[in-house]
Amino acid sequence: MYETSYHRADSVADAASKIGDEGKYLAGGMTLLPTMKQRLAAPDTLVDLTHIGDLKGVSVNGKEVRIGAMTTHAEVNGDAALQSACPSLAKLAGGIGDPAVRHRGTIGGSIANHDPAADYPAAMLALNATIHTDSREISADDFFSGMFETALNEGEIVTAISFTAPDKGAYEKFRNPASRYAMAGVFVADHGGDVRVGVSGAYSNGASRNSEMETALSGNLSADALDGVAVDAGDMLSDIHGSSDYRAHLVKVMAKRAVAAM
Amino acid sequence: MASHLDSNVIPPSRQRETPRAGLTWIGQSMKRVEDPRILSGKGGYIDDVKVPGMAHAAMVSSPHAHARIVSIDTSKAEELPGVIGVYTGEDVATVVDPCPSFASPPVTQHAMAIDKVRHVGEVVAAVVAEDRYIAEDAAALIEVEWDVLPAMVDIEASLEAMGDGVLHPDDRESNKALDESFEFGPVSEDFDAADRIIKRRLRWNRSSAQAIETCGVISQWDAFKGGYTIHANTNFYNFIPFVIGGSLRVSPGEMRIIPVLTGGSFGSKVFIHKIIIMTSALSRLSGVPVKYIEDRLEHFTNSDSHGSDRLYDAELAINDDGTFKSLRFTVLDDYGAYLQFGVGTHGNAMAQVTGPYQIGSFGMRVIAVLTNKTQQGPYRGFGSEVTNWVMERMADAAAEELGRDPLELREQNMIQPDQFPYMIPTGNIYDSGNFQKVLGEAKSLFDLDAWRKKAADMRAEGRCVGIGVATCMERSVYGPTEWWSLNNKETPGFTLTSTPEGISARIDPSGKLFVTLHSPMVGNSPETVVTQILAERLTVAPEDVVINYSDSQSGFNGVGPQGSRFTAMVAGACVSAAIKLEERLKRFGAHMLQRRPEDMELRDGKVAVKGLKDQETSFADIALNSSFFRLSFPDGEEFDSGLETTAVYDHPLSTDPHEDREHLGIFYPIVGHICHIVAVEVDPGTGKVEMLDYAAVHDNGTIVNPRTLAGQVWGGTANGIGTTLSEQFNYDESGQFVNPNFAEFAMPTANEMPRNFKLGHVETPSPYTEYGIKGGGEGGRLGAPSALTSAVEDALQNYGVKISALPITPPVLRGLIREAEQAA
Amino acid sequence: MAKVEMTINGRSVSGVVEDRMLLVDFLREERNLTGTHIGCDTSQCGSCVVHVDGKAVKSCTMLAAQAAGSEITTIEGLASDGELHPMQAAFRDNHGLQCGFCTPGMIMTAVDIVNREGADVDEQTIREQLEGNICRCTGYHNIVKSIAAGAKEMGSGMKEAAE
Repeated sequence: MYETSYHRADSVADAASKIGDEGKYLAGGMTLLPTMKQRLAAPDTLVDLTHIGDLKGVSVNGKEVRIGAMTTHAEVNGDAALQSACPSLAKLAGGIGDPAVRHRGTIGGSIANHDPAADYPAAMLALNATIHTDSREISADDFFSGMFETALNEGEIVTAISFTAPDKGAYEKFRNPASRYAMAGVFVADHGGDVRVGVSGAYSNGASRNSEMETALSGNLSADALDGVAVDAGDMLSDIHGSSDYRAHLVKVMAKRAVAAM
Repeated sequence: MASHLDSNVIPPSRQRETPRAGLTWIGQSMKRVEDPRILSGKGGYIDDVKVPGMAHAAMVSSPHAHARIVSIDTSKAEELPGVIGVYTGEDVATVVDPCPSFASPPVTQHAMAIDKVRHVGEVVAAVVAEDRYIAEDAAALIEVEWDVLPAMVDIEASLEAMGDGVLHPDDRESNKALDESFEFGPVSEDFDAADRIIKRRLRWNRSSAQAIETCGVISQWDAFKGGYTIHANTNFYNFIPFVIGGSLRVSPGEMRIIPVLTGGSFGSKVFIHKIIIMTSALSRLSGVPVKYIEDRLEHFTNSDSHGSDRLYDAELAINDDGTFKSLRFTVLDDYGAYLQFGVGTHGNAMAQVTGPYQIGSFGMRVIAVLTNKTQQGPYRGFGSEVTNWVMERMADAAAEELGRDPLELREQNMIQPDQFPYMIPTGNIYDSGNFQKVLGEAKSLFDLDAWRKKAADMRAEGRCVGIGVATCMERSVYGPTEWWSLNNKETPGFTLTSTPEGISARIDPSGKLFVTLHSPMVGNSPETVVTQILAERLTVAPEDVVINYSDSQSGFNGVGPQGSRFTAMVAGACVSAAIKLEERLKRFGAHMLQRRPEDMELRDGKVAVKGLKDQETSFADIALNSSFFRLSFPDGEEFDSGLETTAVYDHPLSTDPHEDREHLGIFYPIVGHICHIVAVEVDPGTGKVEMLDYAAVHDNGTIVNPRTLAGQVWGGTANGIGTTLSEQFNYDESGQFVNPNFAEFAMPTANEMPRNFKLGHVETPSPYTEYGIKGGGEGGRLGAPSALTSAVEDALQNYGVKISALPITPPVLRGLIREAEQAA
Repeated sequence: MAKVEMTINGRSVSGVVEDRMLLVDFLREERNLTGTHIGCDTSQCGSCVVHVDGKAVKSCTMLAAQAAGSEITTIEGLASDGELHPMQAAFRDNHGLQCGFCTPGMIMTAVDIVNREGADVDEQTIREQLEGNICRCTGYHNIVKSIAAGAKEMGSGMKEAAE
């Protein structure tokens, strides 16, 4: 790890004032710190957001859900109100990484990083979530712009996400056997017959929706409805853990399993 | 009828302690002596050791698979505050010579590369600094200019390489390091006479042990005495001075190697000579003690412990009635960039290459190929895990071609209980066994008949469920001729013939039995088994046994835990030590009780008069009197004070290879047997394998500690499951090692292990070792791959999928299923 | 450089360290608490697991500065007066360790599992929650058994304490 300096922010404004040109915000650090250890990132400043009280906690008001950016995966998983309003998202959070990762990793850190294999981005797309920052609101559809890329500007801070809970939802993933990240993770959400499908882990441009699946499922929410849908391997990642053909196949298999689990 | 084996005469047994019922401590599941200090975080592994004045090393490694080093600019690194010194391969070569090589002729390897690198991760420069953070900062400032050469990645392409594609043009004209052929018995005649020849091409891909602790060294050059004090997590601390003295330009006695508790080896830490040499050179150059702990990336890319990587063209000659006649194969071995141990892993496999079957002859051509990958080293099985799999694949293939039940065909060909000791075509013997009994136990533990019906029912429902059975050998107590017996006969090179193991033992006036081991703890249970064996033989209470470790200057001889040898060998040393101590105890005790030594016996930590209840004196009293009151005893050397002895046990049964290699002699004769049966379900959607049920029955002779032996079987089986289902080192065509970290190299977690794991034991004692003990450290990995491969093939029978390469990862299986779907 | 103060195994400690120093290095190099190990460098193996404010965390993936003000428990903080913690004892009783290198992290994760899931935690839950702890020696069989037994023992200890 290159040298860096650490600042613990006590407010969003404090954080924004400390970040500078070469700094990075530090949330749980589950991706950033390993990347720095490999000398693949060299921020001169780390601004720790996890002690900012305003950024933490889950609030549920009927079907309206808001989750502070610095809420850990374990807190999302264990939130009783969320478990009842949107059990699929609570369950997803309980399947990220391992317990130690869930104790540190945060929803804001995960989506701001936009690892193509992270779980939350698929959920944000399927839930039609809104990403709140210190300066604006961004729809999930506009937020995830490419692998490890988002609509965030330099220095902009994700403060929360919010969404209206779907009638039903489910997430199924096939884990990379080594990293445990998703090789194909599919979140299917039914918003009053309007079905949204978010996919993580497979697409080479990062988390994406699959509109063919959405169309097929919107009239007929059953696994069989996906039989005729072809997933294009040309859009898929390919690596030692699975070719693009394999990933395309997995997306369909996981989508069918998610629908069956709804 | 004359045979090529006639000259290989089995020596008589030197067993002193016969296997028997009614032992007190041997056979007990005693809790481990080693555990409390480890459990409380006070184990003392290599990275926990701090030496006064110690500096830390960080390495600069090659990003290229094959390249010339044009220049190395260390100037920026040298300027960094906290840096003590920066050294290149050329600097290192001023104080050390190339690494030892068992290959003949040797392949030259420098601990730190000079002129040229031959695999990704090969070290070209090092920084010694006040702490590791600074050392790594400085290493990142070193600039190397490279002239990239063609990378030899494919085994067959590397054989054809010329010019810049040749890895070691100074030593060899091509990348073929060795090409030797052997015939043990009438191979051609047997093949000519056979009804059928079964042929398969089988591929075993590279992976490695990846113990959770990497390798590490602290070395301190003593400029006054001219030697080194070295802490290292090597398995082999008493032997390694003799291996590396030449490289370090000191005599073996000028090195003091101090062992540490070692965080797992599975073979990977047997020598670690390269980093000992490199770190020692850094200490000598910098003038301070230097610690170097491999990081995980370095352990993957530079630790010289990659496992087997082989391509077999195998043939099994059989008759239509199912009789196995002869086995032969050509094996191409992708050895990597150097050849530290020659083809020792193939020598090892010669111990049991024909499996548990009566096969009259065996032939082999072995071609070792140098490629631009990290070189191979030992990994649990040391090559025999591959030939076990090849043999079992061929048995399955024979069953399929004959339309026979694979289990029944195996039973037909198995060696019978009255045929031991049984000599296989290579000359090694199987000392004892009852394979039928092991198989019978496994069948009933697994409930095979019920499972076969259940699996058929599940398949009828469309599920991909199958059962696999493997019946394999587990050779133990190795003799070192395997390292060189396959080398060119005219220049065999390194020719060690025995693998001694020693202990020293002392009873002091407190009544404690202090025992010093000459081999380290690497995850086996040396302190526990030695405690049990000595408590048994000397009738002392286990809590009165205190175990310590020597260093290489205070203890000799010890070869350490490898080749499933330690328990059986150290048992021999314990018995020898106990015999010597018993003699002295009786002599002193008899004098104290005014009896004759021959009237005495050992009883509950006392010397007692045979048959008389109260006529006894404790070991503590004897030690007190013999140590402090010498003058109460008669004159004469036999009453010299103290109760102390050292004892060394040599390999119990070996013969030399035939000079024309008609056979290889007896070298790995204490042979266990294993049967694994597993039921699996394959998810045809993803290609993922789930183990539904698993039974393993092992025969490791007399068991010293059932619980620790079971731990070895479970652990080895887990390694075998990983090898079969997920673990593979991937190199791309430019020779980049694609997955050298735990985020990319897929090892099983608790969640991938079988839930139902049933373990059984049969005890067929060895007639050659003390108490009949056989080794049991490798068996799980020697059996699991074969059983699991068969089970997966059985599960996919509706698709007609055949498995000829490991690992069978989800995408591989999904690909095979897809091909079958498309063909249909 | 950062001045960090924290409580480790019940004792207040402070140190001035580089901002980039990892918590695991602070424990091992600055505090000589070498029971917490480094295995993989990439946050998979779990040899470095400690408790930060009562929760299992990988100390190789956290800066010492991040832990400032926290209460840390390491493997050295579990046993007291020569008496193994019930989870440590369960690992010994069930042969849940061989080389022992992953063991401190395993035990810290195990105690965390029991803290969250209770004394009757089932085998499947134990296996799922061990996904961040890799062992190459045991095949996990006896680790899972140890944790189930340790959980029961911890449960009866909690009950006794409550009574």
